[in-house]
Amino acid sequence: MAAPAKSQVRSLVVVDYDHCSYCGACVAVCPPDSIILHDATLLIDPVTCTLCRRCLPACPTGALTLQEVTA
Amino acid sequence: MIRESYDVVVIGAGPAGSIAARTCAQAGLRVLLAEKRQEIGSPVRCAEAVGKETAAEFIPLADKWIAAEVDHFSLTSSVNDTIHFPPLETTLVLERKIFDRELAHTAAQAGADVVVKARAAGFIKNGAGIEGVKLMVQGMPHEVRCQIVIGADGTEAQSTRWAGLKSVPQLKDYYSAAQYLLTNVNIDHTVCQYHLGWSQAPLGYLWVFPKGNNTANVGLVIAVDPKQTRSAIDYLNDFVTKHFPQSSILSQVVGGIPISNVLPEMTADHYLAIGDAAHQSDPLTAGGITNGMYGGLFAAQTAIEALRQGDTTRKFLKKYEKLWDDKFGADYRRLYRVRQAVFKIPEEKLNSMIQQVSQLDAKNLSLTQVFKVFLREYPLLIVDALPLLLGK
Repeated sequence: MAAPAKSQVRSLVVVDYDHCSYCGACVAVCPPDSIILHDATLLIDPVTCTLCRRCLPACPTGALTLQEVTA
Repeated sequence: MIRESYDVVVIGAGPAGSIAARTCAQAGLRVLLAEKRQEIGSPVRCAEAVGKETAAEFIPLADKWIAAEVDHFSLTSSVNDTIHFPPLETTLVLERKIFDRELAHTAAQAGADVVVKARAAGFIKNGAGIEGVKLMVQGMPHEVRCQIVIGADGTEAQSTRWAGLKSVPQLKDYYSAAQYLLTNVNIDHTVCQYHLGWSQAPLGYLWVFPKGNNTANVGLVIAVDPKQTRSAIDYLNDFVTKHFPQSSILSQVVGGIPISNVLPEMTADHYLAIGDAAHQSDPLTAGGITNGMYGGLFAAQTAIEALRQGDTTRKFLKKYEKLWDDKFGADYRRLYRVRQAVFKIPEEKLNSMIQQVSQLDAKNLSLTQVFKVFLREYPLLIVDALPLLLGK
């Protein structure tokens, strides 16, 4: 019997859209330029994000958190 | 209307971008001023205070964008001692939405093409050389060719990165900011208040700027600290609850401001960065409206000369960096050091310094007097302040 596939745990910067004001304060401090801001849309590219966490304290509304997700 | 080619494309229609576009258009250049938002001046990310005389250098003063005119300043500690300063330069508290649109209007009147909902998506490049800007205008791609690009795309600027400038600030040189427009505030509407105390605004400060009609901009900046667990808005909520429990919130603005002093390089071949894109906000207070407008003026003057001479390489455009440095360089280097010096003072010391000065006669208060008291309370200040006093 094959062992069940191991679920992968990885970290992601997650946007809380109830707090985000789309001000772009996070964009400026992101070294790999992984944060995309268009009007009222803020997306973080999980492929290029290096999880450096610089955006977390820069956010004036505390809308960004590092979370572990199971994929 | 957007043409296929221009002499100059300005990305971003804030005050810096509009002044740059207007100055270029006045010299007879073909200019496009592209704003990514659907409305110029909105949302505002600013405390809206400018020096009256400086503002008047750029635009005739008009009641419609002046919310209040203030001559007095005060500085309050976290234990509520207050220093009342004698009048310095008259300060205007603006209606930025109207002010920004008026400036863009003057650029259009000078002959610039102005377009909104026009997002810059990248540069048109030939090898390493910039030949234009790829715009998305109302969702439709537009390739606009030009000789020079002026990047006025704000704190979150992309154009600086495309131009290869080192634009990512250190966190200690970055303010996280939050502000409410409050109404039902019981304040003296002739005074701009500053509040200092690390427990209320860690490594930053708070302000209360009257906007007339019983309203005020109440906001704060805090230097970004990775160890900090609370955000700017949390501190602002505490302050408002403590000082303005009866108030109502009419609007909320937040943002980030680089306070690193200007970028070491603000130009590349065929490219100049201005305003917050070039980190031109004052490295102590983070005020940036008129400074950005000067940036726009100097960049435009340089662009005009570069096009006349037929040389738009960085080698020529560096003249803009010289113009900036001649006007602001020494002050900015000083202000940067003042911030570092002030931030080292423990809060209890800060409180006792403010308490002692608050006892002096406000009518005859001089900066020398203030400095003497501060030095008595905190002799270490001399180490940081001496080079400043000597002008080095």
